[in-house]
Amino acid sequence: MIRKYVRFSPLQRFEHFAVMSLFVVLAVTGFPQKFYDHRWAQAMIGWLGGVDTARWFHRAAGIAFGLLLAAHVVRLVWQVATGTVSLSIVPTRQDFRDAVQTLRYYFGLTDKQARFDRFDYRQKFEYWGLLMGSAIVVGTGLVLLFPIVTARFLPGELIPAAYLAHSQEGLMAFLVVIVWHIYNAHLSPDVFPFDTSIFTGTVSEKRMQHEHPLELERLEHAAADTHEPAA
Amino acid sequence: MAFAAVVATVFLIAQSAPSPAARVDNDTCLSCHNDPTLSLKARDGATVPLRVSQDALSASVHSKVACGDCHSAAAEMPHPERSFASTRDVTLALDAECRRCHFANYTKTLDSVHQQAVARGDRTAPVCVDCHGAHDVRKPSTPRTVISQTCAKCHEGIAAAYAGSVHGHALRDGNQKVPVCTDCHHAHDVAGPKQTAWELRTPEMCGSCHANKFTTYLSDFHGKTASLRRNQNTPATGPVVARCTDCHGVHDIQKATAPQSPVIKANLLKTCRQCHPGATDNFPAAWLSHYEPSLHKAQFVYAVRLGYAVVIPFMVGGLGLQILLHLWRLMANR
Repeated sequence: MIRKYVRFSPLQRFEHFAVMSLFVVLAVTGFPQKFYDHRWAQAMIGWLGGVDTARWFHRAAGIAFGLLLAAHVVRLVWQVATGTVSLSIVPTRQDFRDAVQTLRYYFGLTDKQARFDRFDYRQKFEYWGLLMGSAIVVGTGLVLLFPIVTARFLPGELIPAAYLAHSQEGLMAFLVVIVWHIYNAHLSPDVFPFDTSIFTGTVSEKRMQHEHPLELERLEHAAADTHEPAA
Repeated sequence: MAFAAVVATVFLIAQSAPSPAARVDNDTCLSCHNDPTLSLKARDGATVPLRVSQDALSASVHSKVACGDCHSAAAEMPHPERSFASTRDVTLALDAECRRCHFANYTKTLDSVHQQAVARGDRTAPVCVDCHGAHDVRKPSTPRTVISQTCAKCHEGIAAAYAGSVHGHALRDGNQKVPVCTDCHHAHDVAGPKQTAWELRTPEMCGSCHANKFTTYLSDFHGKTASLRRNQNTPATGPVVARCTDCHGVHDIQKATAPQSPVIKANLLKTCRQCHPGATDNFPAAWLSHYEPSLHKAQFVYAVRLGYAVVIPFMVGGLGLQILLHLWRLMANR
């Protein structure tokens, strides 16, 4: 039997699925508004039943996304406060060294590949990028949803600034997903055609050896330690 | 071949033009119709004068047109007996004559609010001669000022508001480029200004002269909404979105720097509140007043724009580069 290693909890898998679905809705209803003067955008708005309908879906999905983000952050803060979460996603000095070494490896300056723990630097980068980007789009989205309330407390110029930041941040997120995430989850020869771990929650031992050798070593040590007294 | 086509065209024109020999010439008509006492009695008792001023006729664009071409029912001698209910009835009975030559413009009027009123049975609604004149028909746009005067015959209040507007003032001062009534409303296919299609066309209408303002309007939330609604076939379900005229005014439009202008800073909050009733002092600054963000205006927005213009290519380019390096290394390893 092939050994499987649990990588994502059911809650994390749900979060990914929800973000993925909402991201599609937000992109489909958002970009035709950003690129309103292009023919394809006009066609898409028509297909969605008009700009008012598209906005209704965009706002509904945006609110759901905001709630998801809030729940994630609240849970994270709670878990960190109570010490019930491992901090393996927090970037460290080692990640910087890993990135440099990976680049050296790509350029052929060394034959030694960086060895990663539970999350490699690219995954940490993507996680924190998503978290920060989400905070920006949700925050600016709220400003756009409640411009009058915003202007009661803050300068009015914040509203067009939020408008621009919302649409540009959305564009950047979209491009990063298209270029980087699709490559790492689908097109990269390491996982082609489909890295299923975020849906099944598990990865094979072979992939653990290849992609997360330090974590595998830790897990094996821990297993050996717990077995020792019995031996 | 080309020669044959020309000959055929000439032949067709010659055939379709009314042959002068078959009709009574204008001098014969005028021999009776220069008599100031010549008139007919309508059934309502009104006297319809039948005198035609030869001077007006020869100064008109129709000076070469035969009387019988428009008065087809009276082309024969002696004239057939006819009875009219009123003076207006005479005008309405003759209206059909214009379309025999001016068919394209007649077709356009079918879409107009004026023609809709005629079709409803409104006997005061304007027909061709009410705007163009009858025997004294002239080029309708020489000089341009005459157009607004023509409309003013019925739309008196609006004409007065227009005359006091920045456009009206400029026209009075001899600026030939300012819009007169028909530039916005069209002449023959004059649309009802309460129609949705008209509402959504407003920004383009103003933008055809104020192009730089049009661009900054479109890049704002109001403009994008108007643009996207304009290009869809479903009716708008969201709230009304501000168009040029909602902030600047319509016929009484003022210079944006005029003290009574609704868009001058002192009046702007009041203008915003027409649609955003809860707006407070900071709110009008959310609208960048047709300024492009720059180092001098809306610096914060400019900084955000600049930031993303740097970060997006850097981010996406960097990630793309790393992908290419990864693939390159995998190839080299094989």
